[in-house]
Amino acid sequence: MGFGCMKGSVFWMSRRRLSAVLPTGMAVIRRMTFCGCDTSQPAMTTRPKALANSVHAIHLGTGRPWRPASSCVVTAAAKPARNTAELAAALAAHNFAMPAMSPTMTEGNISKWKLKEGDSFTAGDVLLEIETDKAQMDVEAQDDGVLAKIMQGDGSKSVQVGTRIAVMADPDDDLSSLEIPPEDSAPESKKAEEKPSKPAPSAEPGVPKTESSKAQSTGANKPEGKPRDQKYPLYPSVQHLLNEKGISDEEASKIPATGPNGRLLKGDVLAYLGSIQSDYPKKQAQRIEKLSHLDLSNIKAAPPKTSEAKKPAPATRPEPPPPPPETQVTVHISLTEVLRCQKRIRDSLGIDLPLSAFVARAVELANEDLPRSKLAKPTADELFNAVLGLNKVKASRGHFSPQIMALGPPLTPVSSARKTAAKPDPYDILTGKASSKGAKRTPVAFEGAGVSASHNTFSITVPKGDEKRAKVFLERVKTVLEAEPGRLVL
Amino acid sequence: MLRTLLPRRAPARPLVTQFGAANTFGPSLGVSAGQRWRRGYASEADEKDLVIIGGGVAGYVAAIKAGQAGLKVACIEKRGSLGGTCLNVGCIPSKSLLNNSHLYHQILHDTKKRGIEVGDVQLNLQQFMKAKDQSVEGLTKGVEYLLKKNGAEYIKGAGAFADEHTVQINLNEGGERSVRGKNIFIATGSESTPFPGLTIDEKRVITSTGAIALEQVPKKMTVIGGGIIGLEMASVWSRLGSEVTVVEFLGQIGGPGMDAEIAKMTQKILAKQGLKFKLNTKVASGDVGSDAIDLKIEAAKGGKEESLDADVVLVAIGRRPYTAGLGLENVGLETDERGRLVIDHQYRTKIPHIRAIGDVTFGPMLAHKAEEEAVAAVEYVTKAYGHVNYGAIPSVMYTYPEVAWVGQNEAELKAAGVKYKVGTFPFSANSRAKTNLDTEGMVKFIADAQTDRILGIHIVGPNAGEMIAEGTLALEYGASTEDVGRTCHAHPTLAEAFKEAAMVCYDKAIHY
Repeated sequence: MGFGCMKGSVFWMSRRRLSAVLPTGMAVIRRMTFCGCDTSQPAMTTRPKALANSVHAIHLGTGRPWRPASSCVVTAAAKPARNTAELAAALAAHNFAMPAMSPTMTEGNISKWKLKEGDSFTAGDVLLEIETDKAQMDVEAQDDGVLAKIMQGDGSKSVQVGTRIAVMADPDDDLSSLEIPPEDSAPESKKAEEKPSKPAPSAEPGVPKTESSKAQSTGANKPEGKPRDQKYPLYPSVQHLLNEKGISDEEASKIPATGPNGRLLKGDVLAYLGSIQSDYPKKQAQRIEKLSHLDLSNIKAAPPKTSEAKKPAPATRPEPPPPPPETQVTVHISLTEVLRCQKRIRDSLGIDLPLSAFVARAVELANEDLPRSKLAKPTADELFNAVLGLNKVKASRGHFSPQIMALGPPLTPVSSARKTAAKPDPYDILTGKASSKGAKRTPVAFEGAGVSASHNTFSITVPKGDEKRAKVFLERVKTVLEAEPGRLVL
Repeated sequence: MLRTLLPRRAPARPLVTQFGAANTFGPSLGVSAGQRWRRGYASEADEKDLVIIGGGVAGYVAAIKAGQAGLKVACIEKRGSLGGTCLNVGCIPSKSLLNNSHLYHQILHDTKKRGIEVGDVQLNLQQFMKAKDQSVEGLTKGVEYLLKKNGAEYIKGAGAFADEHTVQINLNEGGERSVRGKNIFIATGSESTPFPGLTIDEKRVITSTGAIALEQVPKKMTVIGGGIIGLEMASVWSRLGSEVTVVEFLGQIGGPGMDAEIAKMTQKILAKQGLKFKLNTKVASGDVGSDAIDLKIEAAKGGKEESLDADVVLVAIGRRPYTAGLGLENVGLETDERGRLVIDHQYRTKIPHIRAIGDVTFGPMLAHKAEEEAVAAVEYVTKAYGHVNYGAIPSVMYTYPEVAWVGQNEAELKAAGVKYKVGTFPFSANSRAKTNLDTEGMVKFIADAQTDRILGIHIVGPNAGEMIAEGTLALEYGASTEDVGRTCHAHPTLAEAFKEAAMVCYDKAIHY
């Protein structure tokens, strides 16, 4: 089974690479690489495990994964109920799992396999590139072999550490008759534990679906899949207590752990044994957790500084000033003259001018040279001129566009086409201003609907202080629309 | 025409003020692309991913860390050298003085019984100070190199907020400059709290800054405040020959974090070295005369007034956050009643892209705490997660012997209503301490009475400052005293005392 855990996969990474990736974790990895993780983890020696685990120990120990060899059979020999048929299958090939490139890595993407299925490789060859959120790394082969099958192809995303990504075989194995071993136990990482229901990465074509699902179910049944599985070496006090009280590792993994990052503490075991209150460790953990944060609960704000001269400044400067109060300026305008003019043009010239054209032109005209807003800030040029005592600017162009509301009976919409008005200026299109300019210059986009012939209110909302400017604007609109609308368009 | 001459306002960038680091920190590729077209406007503020105001331990560590993470970072420091209070006028120079004064003191009073007789011993205070300055210079230059190596820009000048994203810098070499930052860290540190009624001149009425640079050994010295800084400086000058009196308002030395039992033991040891203590005593007023400074002291709870005269008075009553001239009012940032910048658990001020770390905000004012926060804050910017365990921050007082602790003390646990057990082991029963003729002090474990989980470790003794690292690790991992007791410690080492104290806590010591 073996290669389901990350220890197995590490085997395939060159030590040089590893030390680059994992300067601090090196010692741990070395141990795994050289003597096989099972023997190095004391808990495992006493734990009856599935057969394949022993195979793992064997091949890790010898560097020849699929041949039982002499050196590291210690743990294997201790295992009960060895099934020879299963053993043979497991020996035929072995799984290659997603390696953990850093202690915190839980998943990664496979950017590219450097080999095709059936390619053989020698120690040191780059097998594939793995990509994490932090870096892209090559995974090198530690030994000679043949890539029998790729389970997670190029571009596989978020492959959990420990998930099988390929099947490797011995250089002289016959690939055609090779048996693909079942998927190892589900990745034992925390992630997988949290979502046990998450389906395993879907099997690639060529791998029978049933096989992977079966493997998944066996993986899920293992006690190691439980949330409290303790992967790291247990604390000496915990180990001692477990042995003393004869608690098996399976049982130990069911003890609720309250230590940092879910570590099993002495107190947890004591609570489990009933020698102390069962909820005490949890309460304690909560209390200590609270201590680990800055206490920001009771902040008393500084009293406002009264004596300091600087005080007035912060009051005005810090926040953007609240939007100034606004006011609405309204004027009634009759569009009778405009409609008459529109009809006249249609009759005499055959051109259909929309109402909006009249209003837009009127607005444009009225916006010219409005009295200066009291709120407007002087520009740099104006300030410069003011310093020199040059002409004072009294008027400026406005950007008003009125809201129009009908008071009288609404007009029937003009149905005819309005090619002329809608035609955009090619220059605007070329300069990319078409949309913004269009919006500004034709603020009133209505086609007769919503306006009445005689009574319409034109209103604009302006900040307080700008009423005069708005009034002048609206009066001008009224004048041009009511007196001589024809001149607007002709 | 004139418009082109005036400074252009920096184009308003879509600034995301939402939480989440991914938003406030854009890919640096985009930054440089944006940078390119805006170059050419000489007065344009250049934009960084991170601008750090303050080049102290918090600031420079954040700058290095951010540089390593690939951020465009600038670190603004007005002192003229990096490292802040710690490197320039705090931890580092004081350690030089403490170490060398201990050596001097040992030669005078201690080596004879070890069979080393030294003839005429002279103190060359000038050289003494030069040795300190060289250490400081070497380290600050080293930090400057590290900033350069990690691509962080070091701007010498005083920074102040112009707006939420812009820091205006008064350059030390003259002139002004402004820097825009997507993120800004405030790491301006702290300053000595002045004593009302005494004007600091750093010659006769001094803070820790003056205490590391006295030009001659004062005959009489009064230290106001028996905390860590006060006791360290008191030790230095006492060893060099001053007659030092420490006046402390509280009933114990070492500040509130030190365990009462340890504090009492330490006081006894220091008193043996010649320090005088006046606990539960407050300074009512001070009078700086032409040849002596006269302090009026009285019992803290009221009592008869006494007079205490000295050549030099060291004010060491604590430190307060330093935000003067920072222009906080320009961006509307708030401090609490003690001047600390108000932050959340990710060090964000109320303007989320402005964070505050180190002494300028909450938590113990310790260099290593500032350092941890710097790393965490940068990680909050780049990875949206950082880690500082405030429950496992060690404190060390570098007197002789050193005092070190981590976690909670007995008084705190009593207040929290936690049942605990205590295990102590004296260095007088430790083989290495015995051979070193250095047997003062003890190790004290405090563990939960039920779970045996370590709650606090307090050490007074030789090398306590180094030894506390093991205790911090144990606390970080939630270890029990049994875990420490069952871990092999080399023989013969002082650390065996640590292990044995743990054994006392859950079982029995071997050697006591």
